[in-house]
Amino acid sequence: MNALATSLRMAVTAMLRQRLRSMLTSVGISIGVAAVVLVAALGTGARGEIDKQIQSLGSNVIFVFSQPATKSGAKSRANMGMGLTERDAEAIRREATAVTAVTVYSEVSAQVMSELGNGKIGVMGVDESYFEVRGYEVASGRRFNESEAQTKAKVALIAPTAQQKLFGNQDPVGRWVRVGKHPFRVIGTLRSKGQSPFEDQDDRILIPIGTWRSRVVPTLGDRVQLVMASAKSAEHSGEAERQVKQILMQRHQIAEGEEPDFRVGTQQEFQKMQEGIFTVLTVLLLSVAAISLLVGGVGVMNIMLVGVTERTREIGIRMAIGAKPADIQAQFLLESIALTLFGGLAGIALATGLMLAFARDLGFPMQLSGQAVAVALGTSAAIGLTFGFWPARRAAHLDPIEALRHE
Amino acid sequence: MSALIRLRGVCKDYMSGPEVVHALVDVDLEIGAGELVAVVGASGSGKSTLMNILGCLDRPTRGRYELAGIDVTERSTDQRALVRNRLIGFVFQGFNLLPRTTALENVELPLVYRGVSTRERFRRAAHALAQVGLADRAHHTPAQLSGGQQQRVAIARALVTNPPLLLADEPTGNLDTRTSHEVLGLLQELSEQHGITVMIVTHETDIAACTRRIITVRDGRIFRDEPNAARPAAAVESRP
Repeated sequence: MNALATSLRMAVTAMLRQRLRSMLTSVGISIGVAAVVLVAALGTGARGEIDKQIQSLGSNVIFVFSQPATKSGAKSRANMGMGLTERDAEAIRREATAVTAVTVYSEVSAQVMSELGNGKIGVMGVDESYFEVRGYEVASGRRFNESEAQTKAKVALIAPTAQQKLFGNQDPVGRWVRVGKHPFRVIGTLRSKGQSPFEDQDDRILIPIGTWRSRVVPTLGDRVQLVMASAKSAEHSGEAERQVKQILMQRHQIAEGEEPDFRVGTQQEFQKMQEGIFTVLTVLLLSVAAISLLVGGVGVMNIMLVGVTERTREIGIRMAIGAKPADIQAQFLLESIALTLFGGLAGIALATGLMLAFARDLGFPMQLSGQAVAVALGTSAAIGLTFGFWPARRAAHLDPIEALRHE
Repeated sequence: MSALIRLRGVCKDYMSGPEVVHALVDVDLEIGAGELVAVVGASGSGKSTLMNILGCLDRPTRGRYELAGIDVTERSTDQRALVRNRLIGFVFQGFNLLPRTTALENVELPLVYRGVSTRERFRRAAHALAQVGLADRAHHTPAQLSGGQQQRVAIARALVTNPPLLLADEPTGNLDTRTSHEVLGLLQELSEQHGITVMIVTHETDIAACTRRIITVRDGRIFRDEPNAARPAAAVESRP
């Protein structure tokens, strides 16, 4: 123990004597370790965030998109794009037993103006069920009622980001916004839903779907961009998906085996997709880490070899006064481990700095876990041991007479 | 007087390219405890090879070497390191102190490899430094010491393990006359008062004259081995 403490002190002293060299040598290790720590931190932060985003879509939601169907290699013109209609949604509402609520929506990004400001904002046409299915909550004012929906009233609910753009900190309820040439009265504001996997869910205004079709985009007839349905529960979502698919196949007269002109997706599928992206990111960062650690390790080996050559005489002296080859080997191994551990600590500091700097931009918290720190330091020590081994061995096998003669 | 060093038929051959060089040929030698011996000879005579073998840094090709009754000829690398640490102190021409390391730490170093505790190391190193008259220079690095002081630190390092044998390879080669005399006086004192066997390799006859026995090596053989009435080191100072 005493010998180890002495050796450790000698190793640290040797490292401090060559401050600049030690720092430059450990840069590679630092970058590698920082990447490892960031991966670990993203792991804890991002997964939670993905779950949260997916949850923000609503609960057990099934999405139906229209997609251009291919028949014999050519895209069928009739069904190009907007193949879903409000009648499809009604059919699902009527026939699918595993589904509690069905809603439709169409969105267009348009220039929206108020007396206080303007901006490019998502204008969404929705029906009354939309609020339940997607879990939108009214913050102040009220939702539009059935008669307003039927009469295609020009009323709007406004989400926080859009509210900020159009009204700043003023209360928008009762004021007016204009989309194209049509003025809409703001009847309520919505609570923030944050970022979804696709977009900022708060940068939009919601108006009745009927109004949207006749006033905002009058060319689409009763076609909608998206139909959404809520399954009764998580267990019902598979059954609900099958029912929705079957109903639409029938209505769109698509034979078994033919490619449909729509696509059904569940929340779980989105989650998987997001996690797939996350995995790619992780693999990418870990590759950077691995390459950086390898290059850093080779750098450490190089500098240790230089050190052995420079200190040949010292090695000779130590051997003459009684150092065994194992003592010399241990000394140089400890030095190389001290070097990589220093690099590792710098890497952890670098990663922490990056996390603090970018936490706000990323919009979710990253956590520096004790486990990540342990893994990072373990990796550093292992690199030092691996790449310091050969130089240390070389030092240990020097001939003391030759070493003493070395100038 | 019992023999500390006993060499029997020691040969050392080197390969120099295709040719075999006989650096030492059939050397027999006995040196007793407490002797003060000079080894002289021209360069290439084999005296360095002899000292390397005596210092357990090199192995003889043939023959037998006993140090303090131990046959060290066929010992492993680790065991010879142990022998060097326990039985031999080295003093070199170029001092060979570790740079940027204090005198005290330099002197402690042999004890580090012996596994002595920090406190005990400090005590013994401080004592050895006091013995060579450098107690007040303990925390100076070699760069802050004069040549003579550096060599005295090196002697303290050789002494700190209390070895029976001290090998000094041209210990005054890098020193001026006055400092040489100081160092030589110290070596004489170690031999006479502490019973340490001191062997000094030198090519200066003045230095050799200060010892009690002069061994002349020529062409790898012991050419002459005769006792000498040692002059006191102070006499060196009166050299013209």
